[in-house]
Amino acid sequence: MDDTIIAILRSGTPLIYVTLAGVLAQRSGIWHLGLEGLMIIGACAAVLGVVQSGSILVGLGIGIVLCVLASALLWFVIEKLRANPIIAGLGLTGLGLGGTDLAVQAIYGSQASVNAPFGLPRLGPAFGQYGVLSILVVLMPVFVIAVWVLTRRTRWGLQLAASGEHPFAARSVGVNPARMRLIALCLGGVLCALGGAELSMGSLQIFAYGMTAGRGFMAFAAVIFGGGNPLGATGAAFFFAIVGALGIRAQLLFGERVPPDFLLALPYIATVIGVWISGKLRGGAKAAASFGELKDY
Amino acid sequence: MTNGNATALACRDISVNYGVVAALADVSVDFAEGMIHAVVGQNGAGKTTFARVAAGIVHPDKGTVEIGGKPVPVGNVGRARSAGIEIVHQSFALPPSFTVAEAMEFGAEGRGALYSRRDLERRWTRHLDALGVRVKPRERIRDLPVETQQAVEIARALVTDAKVLILDEPTAVLSPSGIDNLFERLKVMQANGVTIILILHKIREVLSIADTVTVLRGGKLVEGPTLTTEIDAPRLAASIIGTTADGLSDTDRDALVGAAEEDDDGTETAAASVAAGPAILDMRGISTRPDPEGPALVDVALRVGRGEIVGIAGVEGNGQRTLVRALSHLADITAGTVELSGIEVTHQPLSDRRANGLRVIPFERNSEGLSLSSTLWENWAARSLLRDGVLRLISPAKIRKACSAALKVWDVRFSTPNQPAGSLSGGNAQKLILAREVDEDATLIIAAQPTRGLDVGATAFVWRSLREARARGCGILLISSDLDELFDISDRVVVMLGGRVNGEFSRPYHLGEVGAAMTGADR
Amino acid sequence: MIGYLTQIIRAVAFVFIALLLCGVIFEFAGFSAPLMFQSIADGAFLSMRAWENSLRWGLPLFLTALGVVISFRCGFFNIGAQGQFYMGAIAATFVADGLNGQSAVLVVPLTFAAGILGGALWALWPGLLRVKSGTDEVITTLMGNFIAGLALIYVTSGPLKDPSGTGQAASSRPIGEAYRISEGNSLSPTIIVICVLVGVGMWVLVNRTAFGVLSSLAGRNPIMVVWQGARLSRLGLAGFVIGGALAGLAGTIEVLGPIGRLSSGMLPTHGFTAILIALVANLSVLATAVVAIFFGGLAAAGLYLPVLAGLPAAAIDIINAAIALFITARAWPKRLTGLLRRDAT
Repeated sequence: MDDTIIAILRSGTPLIYVTLAGVLAQRSGIWHLGLEGLMIIGACAAVLGVVQSGSILVGLGIGIVLCVLASALLWFVIEKLRANPIIAGLGLTGLGLGGTDLAVQAIYGSQASVNAPFGLPRLGPAFGQYGVLSILVVLMPVFVIAVWVLTRRTRWGLQLAASGEHPFAARSVGVNPARMRLIALCLGGVLCALGGAELSMGSLQIFAYGMTAGRGFMAFAAVIFGGGNPLGATGAAFFFAIVGALGIRAQLLFGERVPPDFLLALPYIATVIGVWISGKLRGGAKAAASFGELKDY
Repeated sequence: MTNGNATALACRDISVNYGVVAALADVSVDFAEGMIHAVVGQNGAGKTTFARVAAGIVHPDKGTVEIGGKPVPVGNVGRARSAGIEIVHQSFALPPSFTVAEAMEFGAEGRGALYSRRDLERRWTRHLDALGVRVKPRERIRDLPVETQQAVEIARALVTDAKVLILDEPTAVLSPSGIDNLFERLKVMQANGVTIILILHKIREVLSIADTVTVLRGGKLVEGPTLTTEIDAPRLAASIIGTTADGLSDTDRDALVGAAEEDDDGTETAAASVAAGPAILDMRGISTRPDPEGPALVDVALRVGRGEIVGIAGVEGNGQRTLVRALSHLADITAGTVELSGIEVTHQPLSDRRANGLRVIPFERNSEGLSLSSTLWENWAARSLLRDGVLRLISPAKIRKACSAALKVWDVRFSTPNQPAGSLSGGNAQKLILAREVDEDATLIIAAQPTRGLDVGATAFVWRSLREARARGCGILLISSDLDELFDISDRVVVMLGGRVNGEFSRPYHLGEVGAAMTGADR
Repeated sequence: MIGYLTQIIRAVAFVFIALLLCGVIFEFAGFSAPLMFQSIADGAFLSMRAWENSLRWGLPLFLTALGVVISFRCGFFNIGAQGQFYMGAIAATFVADGLNGQSAVLVVPLTFAAGILGGALWALWPGLLRVKSGTDEVITTLMGNFIAGLALIYVTSGPLKDPSGTGQAASSRPIGEAYRISEGNSLSPTIIVICVLVGVGMWVLVNRTAFGVLSSLAGRNPIMVVWQGARLSRLGLAGFVIGGALAGLAGTIEVLGPIGRLSSGMLPTHGFTAILIALVANLSVLATAVVAIFFGGLAAAGLYLPVLAGLPAAAIDIINAAIALFITARAWPKRLTGLLRRDAT
């Protein structure tokens, strides 16, 4: 049982950090499909930073700076060049995947993965089995609550939501929706860097090409599943982590009868069903194709 | 022109250009403190732009703004608000998913760290009560009727210590009695020392509420601020319209500027209707499911005869949109029958109804009527392409030629049929829709707000087209929120309230009676 | 026409900006940008052999991109080309593998039919969800890509597994020689003919039928065509299904043609590149053909770089990604143009 909980926490934590980043972007009116790219930048920077400098803080710091810069680039392209957020986000994801690959090859030649000498600080043996959990797992609930308070219990959160839902309304009370989106994306960049660092340095201490394996997209699915609500989205991310962890257990239980790939597909299928049901509840087929475009103001 | 009082808001040499179009040119006005000022003009005269410049939302190309004698940086909402100026927009600017309390809070200034839901609701209930707005703070904006939405928006504008309140066309969405209530509320605020600037376009309303009037035409200041005691309706009408609309009948002119007397004397015969012939449209007992765009229809009966213009009056959001959607097979009909020219079409899709002669000029010209980023010829040809089958081979060159010819007949100003529809002005865009929808096979034309946002010339053009269609024997259903327009060109007026028909009137129309039917007050 | 010319200039300009960004990234990572671009050009276009390779990669991309063009023109953001490509390939392999030994006259047409149907069906369900209950197609098709990717892993390591396979990636048994439409890992006249025929057909559909005009109207403003009496659901479903069918056809061609078998993780960026091609071509059929060859060249260079130039293939991914980042841009920064100054707050 404890094993399972640890497995869920370990696989769920990176996902939740990135999901929170997606929530912030979603509320500001941006469909963030660049999460995958930011996450892998964070994962790569943490490992390379530690290997090169020997300091975990330097690794985290480089990751945060790069992710914030990449987020700002995405914001510039979406907000200032009025590019389609979905395609631009996919582009950022591609840049992240390709860029980290390029960076690893530039430094280490054609090596597929990089090992770090040590990982994130852990709880330690005082916590028994749970001692293997990293500090970022422990901090995760703090971030969840912080994002919830920020978006649901402050005036800033209302202004952020207004920037996404009705930018003109935001503008006519003196809020600059473009700036709100920049802040939301950059905060999201920090969260993605942390999520990526937890992925590569939390339990594995290794960076491998494409190691995010679609987690950024799964986080996006969790955001949609949770309807942009931080708690709902976190719940969805947890659900995905549980399904993933149970998938491995179930394989032991059911053996060959249930193909493991089917269990791995469950989160995606669940997202489709969730989005379908929430669309039904909101009622009626919407006629307009939004394409995730930013609303004009 | 005003004397004694200090100046609340002063604008100097304001110029705004959108591309090559000058929305405002060197407008300088002083508004005295503690008064109710009206700014009037036709559509496109620059009223809204002016209001937005004053509120800091639009950055002018040139000019300065002073509030309470102190200069305020232009194009900066935050600074304008802290100087005490607030604006209520024509189409309300509150996020629809917000609760009333959240809508109040998001624009508040000053301290406001964390809140709990209950704190928030308590705080804003007090504020709303003080202003006499009866609404639950937990209700969502999108669930409120328009009059309440407007009251909430005004309350939102007053969360700070507003000295100047600008309302952009606040009466456009209200019933006559709703307008009276609004004016009462404004007078109370005036007594509390707030300077009020009303963007209006009806002379009747200007003369009944405002202390001064300022007239804009074509982005230029033509008059004002003039004390309303020193001006009368005919002079004001001439000032608003200028000389741009010669050849209008007097009744049309009065309808355009909202100068008609309270009681229409009913002698209008210039556009005498063809005697109403057999029914083109016969709706009996129509009920629908609730629609995303308005309340459900309940037991609506409606008849439009050959050569008849039937006007639909009502406060916006009382089922007019559902009615048009039900007639277009876009709302689910649960009971009743619809007949077009004697053929039952209750369950026919829109394409079949169109084949039977139904034509629709929808409410939203730019989203429902046209695809702005598509070319003129594609927009123009859409109806005939759908009529003739989707997999048929076509020749775009031929369609372009036919389109050019048709648009010339309808007096659309355009350079090439390949230009996007979004490059047309509002009036020309509406003519493009007319060119598509008003053809010789049309038997019933539904015209939903066909003149909204159009200037005098284009409005007169639309009216003339509808009257010509009537003369050819078309039945016309005209939905409008402008009673002056309805009274001017409808042969009958049907009032809708809450999805029901709440009264039917024929000439001579009495504003008080129709207004009472719009709000459900006892007649 | 001036309109078309500005569109071309705009597309070329944004591709150029993207390449500049790539150059900066290459230099930053410690590679020589001029050398990198030179090598890419070598691998893509600077020899007869390179052109052949570019066409080999470009033609299947052209088909999938045409599908994206049709979907997008109909107003649906079907980003599921990857999944539809996979499902087409899987369906085709099932038929070709299952009927192994039968006459090629029977098997090849059935394989094509199965591939097209597989792709179309994988586009149909998001389409139905979209037009029946308004479920956002971006999410459903994106999820569909992942599900199809897992399905590919499943069939190549399960039902279609090649028992003699020793490679790292699981794959199906090779397609029987009799059913192959190209020799070895290269282009063939059959493939070219198929692509030309489909291209001409789609050009007619888009430019010379009422469907083309109406779908383009629907794509730009679906509400407007609803008010004209169009059945948007049919128009939209047609867009989804044609898009899926073309992606499925591309998958079939890869299986029966150059690749010759189904392997897990095959061409993982095919769908994304196809979307890029459609967008760079601004949803024009003719332009899609040209742009597809360009991106085919990049794909060919992606194989050339590590083998012959000793440079990382990731460079190609970065170029594609950078183009994606910029290609949908509709405006220049307001500060630069000063046109829309009213935005300031």
